[in-house]
Amino acid sequence: MFFDVAMTLPNYFLADLPPEAILTPQLISDACQSIRKNRERFISELQQERIVRCLAQAAKNWLDHDHPIRRLALEPGRTQFSPETLATGLDHYFSRVTEESLFNLLTQEFGHENRLDSPVSTPEENVHRRSAMVTGPFLIAHITAGNIPCPTFSSMIHGLLVRSAQFVKCASGNSFLPRLLAHSIYEIEPKLGACIEVAEWAGGSEQLEGQLFHEADFVTATGADVTLKNIRSRLPSGKGFLGFGHRVSFGYITKDFLSRAQARLAAKQAAIDVIAWDQSGCLSPHAFYIEEGAAMTPEMFAAMLAEELAQLESQQPRGNLTVAESAIVTAARGFFEVRAANSGGTKIWASEESTAWTVVFDDDTVFQHSCLSRFILVKPAKDLESALRAAEMVRGKVSTVAIAASVVAVTPLAQQLARWGVTRVCPIGQMQNPPLAWRHDGRPVLADYVTWTDVEQ
Amino acid sequence: MQITDSIDVAEAVKAFIRLPAEAVDDSKFNALALQLFAVQFERNIVYGNLCKSRHALPGIVEHWTEIPTVPTTTFKDFELSTLNTENRMTHFQSSGTTNQKACRHYHDSTSLSVYETSLAAGFTVHLTPETAPSVRFISLTPAPDSAPHSSLVHMIATVSRNQNERVFFGQLGADGNWTIDLTSFRSALAGSMGYSVCILGTAFLFVHLIDALTKLPLQHPLSVGSCVMETGGYKGKTRELSKADFHELISRHLGIRPNHIVTEYGMTELSSQAYDRVTGREQCYFKFPHWARARVLSPETGLEVANGEPGIITIVDLANIASVLALQTEDLGIRHADRFELIGRSQLAEPRGCSLMSP
Repeated sequence: MFFDVAMTLPNYFLADLPPEAILTPQLISDACQSIRKNRERFISELQQERIVRCLAQAAKNWLDHDHPIRRLALEPGRTQFSPETLATGLDHYFSRVTEESLFNLLTQEFGHENRLDSPVSTPEENVHRRSAMVTGPFLIAHITAGNIPCPTFSSMIHGLLVRSAQFVKCASGNSFLPRLLAHSIYEIEPKLGACIEVAEWAGGSEQLEGQLFHEADFVTATGADVTLKNIRSRLPSGKGFLGFGHRVSFGYITKDFLSRAQARLAAKQAAIDVIAWDQSGCLSPHAFYIEEGAAMTPEMFAAMLAEELAQLESQQPRGNLTVAESAIVTAARGFFEVRAANSGGTKIWASEESTAWTVVFDDDTVFQHSCLSRFILVKPAKDLESALRAAEMVRGKVSTVAIAASVVAVTPLAQQLARWGVTRVCPIGQMQNPPLAWRHDGRPVLADYVTWTDVEQ
Repeated sequence: MQITDSIDVAEAVKAFIRLPAEAVDDSKFNALALQLFAVQFERNIVYGNLCKSRHALPGIVEHWTEIPTVPTTTFKDFELSTLNTENRMTHFQSSGTTNQKACRHYHDSTSLSVYETSLAAGFTVHLTPETAPSVRFISLTPAPDSAPHSSLVHMIATVSRNQNERVFFGQLGADGNWTIDLTSFRSALAGSMGYSVCILGTAFLFVHLIDALTKLPLQHPLSVGSCVMETGGYKGKTRELSKADFHELISRHLGIRPNHIVTEYGMTELSSQAYDRVTGREQCYFKFPHWARARVLSPETGLEVANGEPGIITIVDLANIASVLALQTEDLGIRHADRFELIGRSQLAEPRGCSLMSP
């Protein structure tokens, strides 16, 4: 057992230090030097299989209800999520992390799962008597956003797959889950754990970040576009950079899926998309467009979605909001309430005596941002083309579109969405549950990190 | 008295404003609030519809705390007015922060006179309590002809109506922002030696003024008894500065005693203002005069929070005769009995998504 009876974690990482500990550029520099050294000593000699096995084992531990790491993660009050919502999110995420999926990811990215071990060939390369291997950066710094842990988990897994030392910088108050992942890796394979550092501080600290950027070879950042721009401007030349900016998502339900029986199923799935991670990530839907012309009208669908949200709320309650966050929901509700009272085209369903969930049907088709925290807009659409026209203002900023359509209809709809600029199309109910090999914002998963070495014979 | 027309309403509210604060109790406030509610329910269509949807009707609502509140943000998208289009003599508007539609508050001559009665009564109590005839008003804002739709400028013009000397030293910049005509401001101060002055403006303008005075300090200290009224520090425009530090700077650069700096809390959608002190006296939390009442409500439950707890500030303002008397603001505050402390604003800086980064 790697932590004591009081479930306190050992001090391996900067984020394990007591809150009063003050980080200095020197500490950041020392930490970077040490993980860089550990990478040299440990990871470069590890076989890919061992890294993959360690990650798959860590995932199994997170899924194991009796494992202390999961029990600690789910202690109430540790994160902004209710234990039930967090448990569901963790189950979805870690059940996707298996030896098979990790090897498949390597093959997807590099054409061969052993590219990082030695020069290898695909059959196509073999024809020309060529082989190739890839090398990851020495040290990656991840500047992570605060809302949900999955993107940070993925960054850490990707970094280990390309065998880099990693410094994970978390937003204030958000290092708990990434820290636990680092500990769970350390527990299984201390050599891998020793190549990770996790720290938290309020973003924008020029001194600390300046030192980190100086030490790192590659920087990834997730956050508001303005934050990314700011980080990019502070990077010394010659550093690799990957930025994941602001994205929104929505759903589209075709009339084929709006028969009475199917609509109920679609509403259940839509509700799952709304409640996952309390709707706080960029894969969460802001709105659902409902195709007109079916027995189930968009407004009836909204009512059904409200019923499903009310039911799911009892199983996976939304986490507590700060007063400021909850005031935003109240203000948004107030706005639509005035609109609903004055127009037949707007209707609102909401949880009573709390801001736990809200559904707004609005016949104005123009895309609107939801205030999130389980607040969803339902809008009518003649067809996908008109829905995309209505969403023109967010074109280029859309991550995921979930669709509910018959099997034959999916391909043409996906083509239409791809050409419009959408980077991920998924079934309804799966918006916050992308596969491990999902190409975030349309970028390759690992390929952006590595340098290729071609070997000709 | 059963109020039926707008003149009656206006007269009743003005009479209420003129009552000594000690003479007003909850039942008197309640009676007038319910009458005004009944009038607005009938005449303000948008508001009436909202009340109907909440099943909160005159006759059913028994206490002013049950009167349905309207979010101030809805003033951007709806015409919340009891006045027909042809009776709207003027309007005040605030654009809020950038990229937002303006909130409009319409007036006719009757409602405007109630606004003026209300603002003057509140202002006098807090800024010119001794009604010294020699106080000179110096406003950092532009004059009404440059800013005809600013409710703040109208307020300053109203309280300084009898002053012969120039009052306004602000000007409209090419970008629409307000700036200060510093040369004239300096000579006005020099010309006011021997008088107590009352300098008025937005927190944003005072920051500009401090910047200018840092480079070129004032030659002469202001007369004893001079005061400052600053407002609007929560509109997201002033640079990050705590209120205490901000007041310390004002005090140092203008030579005004810190206890003579009064903060006003007001907005376009209201016709009454809260203040945090009477000039020269101890600072306290914000309080409205007796014809308006603020409550701090939990955004989760809609119930009034306990003392010391944070929530959304809601206001019932009897002087809001031509729009809606009950408003839910975007401001967050901490309740201190019947007073409140501002702690911030609850608006989305930008649409959230992955942009939701914790500080």
